Amino acid sequence: MRDWTNEIESHLASLKLKPGREAEIVEELAAHLEQRYAELRNQGLDEAAAVALVREELLADEGLAERMRPLRQASSAPTVAVGAPRGDLLADFWQDLRLAARMLRKQSALTLMVVLTLAIGVGANGALFALVDRVLLRDLPLPQPDRLVTIWERTETTPQSLVSPLNMLDWAQRSRSFDAIGGHLTGVFAMVLTTPNGAEAVMRQWVTAGIFDALGVKPVVGRAFLAADDVERIPSVVLSESYWRARFAADPSIVGQSLRLDGDLYTVVGVVPDQAGILGRANLWGLNFIQGAPERARGQYAFQTVARLKPGVSLEAAQAELAGIAADLAREYPTTNEGRGVALEPLRDVVLGVELKRTSVLFLGVVGFVLLICFANIANLLLTRNSARGNELAIRSVLGADRRRLKRQFATENLLLAGLGGAAGLALAGALLAAAPAAIPQDLLPSGVVIDFDWRVAVFCVVATLLVALLFTLASSAQVTQLTALRKGTLSGRRMTDRTSRTREALVVGQVATAVVLLYGAGLLMRTLIEVDSVDPGYRAESVLSLFVDPLSSSYPTPEALLQFYADIEEELKANPNVATAAWASALPLGPSMAGRLFYDVSGEAAVVPSERPTAEMQIVSKEYFSALDLPILSGRAFDDRDRPGAMPVCIVNQAFVERRLGGGEAVGRTVQTWQSEDSTVEPRTCEVVGVATNAKRRADESEAPSQIYYPFARIPNDDVYLIVRPVSGDAGALASFVRAAIARVDRESLVSVTDIATLESVAHQATARYRFRAVLIAAFAGLALLLAALGVFGVLAYTVQRRWREYGVRMALGARPEAVVRLIVHGAARLLIPGVLVGVLLALVAGQLLGAMLFGVRPFDAATFTLVLVALAVTAALSIAGPALRATRIDPVGALRGE
Amino acid sequence: MADIHDRILSRELKKGSAELIILSIVEARARHGYEISKLIEAQSGGELKFHVASLYPLLYRLEERGWLKGRWVEKPGQRRRRFYSLTAEGQRVLEQQRETWKKFVRAITSITGVSHA
Repeated sequence: MRDWTNEIESHLASLKLKPGREAEIVEELAAHLEQRYAELRNQGLDEAAAVALVREELLADEGLAERMRPLRQASSAPTVAVGAPRGDLLADFWQDLRLAARMLRKQSALTLMVVLTLAIGVGANGALFALVDRVLLRDLPLPQPDRLVTIWERTETTPQSLVSPLNMLDWAQRSRSFDAIGGHLTGVFAMVLTTPNGAEAVMRQWVTAGIFDALGVKPVVGRAFLAADDVERIPSVVLSESYWRARFAADPSIVGQSLRLDGDLYTVVGVVPDQAGILGRANLWGLNFIQGAPERARGQYAFQTVARLKPGVSLEAAQAELAGIAADLAREYPTTNEGRGVALEPLRDVVLGVELKRTSVLFLGVVGFVLLICFANIANLLLTRNSARGNELAIRSVLGADRRRLKRQFATENLLLAGLGGAAGLALAGALLAAAPAAIPQDLLPSGVVIDFDWRVAVFCVVATLLVALLFTLASSAQVTQLTALRKGTLSGRRMTDRTSRTREALVVGQVATAVVLLYGAGLLMRTLIEVDSVDPGYRAESVLSLFVDPLSSSYPTPEALLQFYADIEEELKANPNVATAAWASALPLGPSMAGRLFYDVSGEAAVVPSERPTAEMQIVSKEYFSALDLPILSGRAFDDRDRPGAMPVCIVNQAFVERRLGGGEAVGRTVQTWQSEDSTVEPRTCEVVGVATNAKRRADESEAPSQIYYPFARIPNDDVYLIVRPVSGDAGALASFVRAAIARVDRESLVSVTDIATLESVAHQATARYRFRAVLIAAFAGLALLLAALGVFGVLAYTVQRRWREYGVRMALGARPEAVVRLIVHGAARLLIPGVLVGVLLALVAGQLLGAMLFGVRPFDAATFTLVLVALAVTAALSIAGPALRATRIDPVGALRGE
Repeated sequence: MADIHDRILSRELKKGSAELIILSIVEARARHGYEISKLIEAQSGGELKFHVASLYPLLYRLEERGWLKGRWVEKPGQRRRRFYSLTAEGQRVLEQQRETWKKFVRAITSITGVSHA
């Protein structure tokens, strides 16, 4: 056989064909000449003659080269030696991309795993990032939010009290630090909108004229309230943009029209963007007239404020100026304003409380951990894939693909994978955020602070995705470098595999450790949730209805009128045979309270210096309160008809009060002195203790029961009060419409607002909503972490079994029993699990301490939770070991030795 | 070695009809270059010979035009060969060229009086 390659190549040299194309032509022609030469020799020609004739034919008809010349751009070869450098970046990239797409399609299971893991990692974290971003990183969604403050009134006992409307007007008039000061009532209540098609409920919040100027929101159509509207007392409302769009189809002509709300006509003056919802979840805002209010309104502390500082004015300067004005007001109106100062606080801090920030920091930590686990898992999958591709890499590099080109190929593959995962992650983040409003407890996020999918979330997802691509590219680059070293003989194949395996094992150890931390954290939060859910609220009543009743004070100007109003309602309620008891109270157990705290002392006990007097919660309750809630009176009596206005002042204290101040001694008959402030010059209010009540929980997460002092409602009637109705039997919720109707019969002008209708069970449930949200969310992430860690352990073990297939086969052929092979695998798993668990436990101890502030009823170091975590890990580990171990025991020694 | 007249005949024939010949040879099935050259020689009774230097440039040209499609075929125990097959476009061209060739032959026959019969 004769080789014609060189001869043909020399003929084609002048054509300068593309190398790949030239190689093909040479191959094809060489085959032809070879066959032709063999044919001639078969015909009897000697070697020299045959060679001469073949050469002649190669040169015939002007010669090959000349005839090829017009074909220099010959059709490109259908296949190109894969990985050969071509020097054209864009063409190379395109080729890499197509190759990458083919590779990923071929390894569809791996691709799916990586894309899913990345989607979960990026998507879930993107959604959590949206929350963290909104709460921790960004300011309020209002113009120049750093100039927004809340002004509180301050007394010695109450550092942040609501504000009197007349004080607010005086501040606005006399100060120079503010562009605008506005106030709003904190409650958002339903009003009835009457339309030709019937009545519907709308959520309304009362505000003062300056509020929208203070917020800085610009009306979408129409205008905001003007001071003149207040002065002229024009009943008017401003709609929220989303309500306007939903209810009035964004019709601009609504401005100037009148709406019939609770029977009265209100003029719509404008529509404001939903950012104004930061005040409350309202559909519309009604103008609360404060100009020209009677002087007694100075003592009504009803409004929360939003004030906009003038540009360049600091909070401290404004505080100093207002303090001076407050001192002036105290001199001018001593009866109401004596001892009342002001306190300014950035609106951001008021809106986004400490609790929310703490939750966000927790989530931020979890985001990081889960993202790390996802990365580790994907890195693991890719490392496995790359080592499995060692052969392919070796062949390509022998075929002339240079190191840079191979690295680029990997980078392209990783980019494509990351891109797919990132896109799925973006979609998932979008879906999660779309579902978020329904899942997040209502009081976790302030109204008006909406977390949604915006460009910042998108950027977060894209950056996380690129980071993934970069990390994996670095890892595969290292592998390619090793491979080159392998080719040069400076690294043995065994050592390279070992190095990759060590990296993989380290990653899995990290995953296990992270899973331990997250599981432990989730366990602590779960136990906290169980604790707060199972606290004994103190009362025994099973089903009780509660409503917030707020009669307009101008309709019932005297305590007598108010009491009459309440008595009339009780009378109406008794008409229903299913109403067992109705009572009035300033607070709900585990719910909100309308009364404050008091400093107290007990006559006859060792005197306490004023600044160290103990405090107690003040509650004002009607005589039926204790029976309505089934809150046992332990000694003495409950309130009764004797406790009327003008009668001897009495009070009831709780067990905690007795134990704390009286050492558990007899309380009934003792005299208690109470002060609103620490100021000892003020005359105390005194009352005689007539009963001792069981402790009632105020908050689910109280570590110890607070001291409580109950006053009879009949002596101190209030116009912000909870009505508590207990049915004879059945579900209290069923009474709601009857109770509303009963109040409406007494309040014929519909001037009384009735809201927050809920059973006490749901009040209690709501009280623990944020614990539930936190625990469930972290548990979900911990579960995800555990699953990923299990997959990691499984992956490493399965890969080990595959790699050591022959070895296991040899062992079994030599008489090793399957148990021995299983032992080997379990040993391999222990190498991953033990260091992972040890590191995880150490980190979990730290994490537990950091969680401390969010825990209740469980200590940061909790042996039971640790045990549960370890059990969960053991079960998961057993599951991930089972597959590979089972596979190893089924090795057919003969097959394994044959290398199949 | 063919004599001078044979070579002139071969060249003249090939000039006008080389494409038609190649397309006809691969019409029935895909063939590799050596096979094509042997078939032409055999079917023309030795009158026509396509050697390497003329055959392959022609094949590449036809491939460039999209009339032929070449692909590598590996068979066990043999080196891989490039097989050429007719594309749909090639088929259309072949039929057209056959028509033209028939007209041409009829015209030449009637002018020169040379006939097969």
